[in-house]
Amino acid sequence: MEVSVNAHMPGLVARVVVNEGDKVVKGQEVAVINCMKTELSVRSDQDGVVKTILVKEWDEMEIGNPMIIMAVDHK
Amino acid sequence: MSVRYPCRHTGESRNPERQWMPVFTGMTEEVDTYFCCAVLSKPGFPLRKGYRLFNPTSAIRHPTSANRKDAKVIKKLLIANRGEIVVRVMKTCHKLGIKTVAVYSDADRNMFYLKETDEAYHIGPSNPIKSYLNIEAILDAARQSGADAIHPGYGFLSENSLFADAVVTNGITWVGPPPAVLMAIDSKCYCRKIATDAGVPVIPGTIDTISSADELCRYASEHGYPLVLKLDKGGGGKGIEVVREDLQAKEAFERLSRIGMLAFGHPGAYIEKEVISPRHIEIQFLADGFGNCVCLGERECSIQRRYQKIIEESPSPVVHEKERAMLFECTANLVRAMGYQGAGTMEFLRSAEGQFYFMEVNARLQVEHPVTEFLTGIDIVEQQLRIASGEKLELQQADVQLRGHAIEARIYAEDPVSFCPSPGTISSLQFPATDPAHLRIDHAMEAGAAVPPYYDPLLAKVIAWGESRRDAVDKLVRALSEFHVEGIKTTIPANLLILSSPKFLDGELDTGFIDGLYASAAPDQLSGKPLWPCM
Repeated sequence: MEVSVNAHMPGLVARVVVNEGDKVVKGQEVAVINCMKTELSVRSDQDGVVKTILVKEWDEMEIGNPMIIMAVDHK
Repeated sequence: MSVRYPCRHTGESRNPERQWMPVFTGMTEEVDTYFCCAVLSKPGFPLRKGYRLFNPTSAIRHPTSANRKDAKVIKKLLIANRGEIVVRVMKTCHKLGIKTVAVYSDADRNMFYLKETDEAYHIGPSNPIKSYLNIEAILDAARQSGADAIHPGYGFLSENSLFADAVVTNGITWVGPPPAVLMAIDSKCYCRKIATDAGVPVIPGTIDTISSADELCRYASEHGYPLVLKLDKGGGGKGIEVVREDLQAKEAFERLSRIGMLAFGHPGAYIEKEVISPRHIEIQFLADGFGNCVCLGERECSIQRRYQKIIEESPSPVVHEKERAMLFECTANLVRAMGYQGAGTMEFLRSAEGQFYFMEVNARLQVEHPVTEFLTGIDIVEQQLRIASGEKLELQQADVQLRGHAIEARIYAEDPVSFCPSPGTISSLQFPATDPAHLRIDHAMEAGAAVPPYYDPLLAKVIAWGESRRDAVDKLVRALSEFHVEGIKTTIPANLLILSSPKFLDGELDTGFIDGLYASAAPDQLSGKPLWPCM
């Protein structure tokens, strides 16, 4: 199934640190949001594979905006 | 007291709401209570040369021919910034009868000060890269408005030599140091060289950038750890790595080079010895185009988090008269060697042993400039405008009197425990009662206004003046206790904790003060828990 990793803070996308196809483990940093000039990590809350990256550097983010779609294996 | 008069520029205003604007009457006590400080509150205090800035008849429009060289009259000033500094610069413009032009991004379109400027231009989306850092958009606004000068405030493009150069090339007066000076001093290694040549001590280390991690290890084998690796063109607390052993050298060097390339376009880094428990002490100066330089005292800015200041005061609790004279001399030498013109700040570190080292020059109006204005009675923005328009400094060093004690607390939209950002909307707001002689608040806050996540978290600055340090601190504490902001988290509880700590009251400050304080503070001393984990 697919889940999204969402922005937990508003701000600007500073960078995305994973590529499509990358394996990601729970707690891993997948992107960085710049909120009020402070860089905050966005972390995946589960293991999975990056399917689609929805954002790019400097995109404006609101809390809850999906940033990355991940394929996760729920058994 | 401000009185509402019809706008002097009726007809030019694009927005009919702006045809009424507050202007100040010509009497000294009504000119601008914002700047009237203790100096003026004393009846019969002589209005010396340096204080004529409070007299609106001395407006920049009426210089005497003797004190001008290539005079350029500033009639309309564009303020290329946002937030409290726009309000601050506007105050001086109103006093001097200079028209103001503001610019704004999407996120700032409802800022209250836009209604108080003569003109306001939309310059782009919320993303600062496309608005406040967009040189073309700002120059377009200047051309459309017919502004004859640009004040860059602080941050954003304020120390950008390309912007300064573009402004000058377009025939607009740049309120700041000459573009060539800005370009040169952008390099910390250049500044270290200039300082060394001028006999000003710098932190021991390399004068030039290093080319590899091996060079770092070689330096360490001779001089020992800990060392600090710094980007030649870093700034804003970015581009600093502490290295404690050979094993960390390669990773630190590579990480810093990468950050340098990505954030500043220059990977070069140099080495400094780590100064343990330093104090941050800076000298505010004014330099004109005639070779005159006047120092306006020091500011102690040791209370910092993430290399950014929270509390600033003057005089410093430790700097004595002899040291001050030495720092003034170093500053004047550096100013001369750099060919600097305008207002600026020389930053020094003071080691625990009392040794001073020159660190860098801040080529802009600084956030904490009100501390110095309170202490000296000198309007630094006015001096900037005068210097930019080609006037000679009328102040002499002997005119500068440092009276009493001034202290500033910066209020950030941040969690007071974790210092994580807290953007949102101000739901309710109550300011402490200001008193022109003792308490000043610089801000751009309004109940119901959004605090956008795209910009610096600075909300307001509260500045108190007192006869003694204790008196000033007490006034600041009282004001902060009466300052209520709801809807977002603020650092007011953190400021109060700092100001009430015995160590602070004893004047025992260093740049690691906050870490030490927080390690020992009981959780209930700080209201609220972190909103979000800062990672």
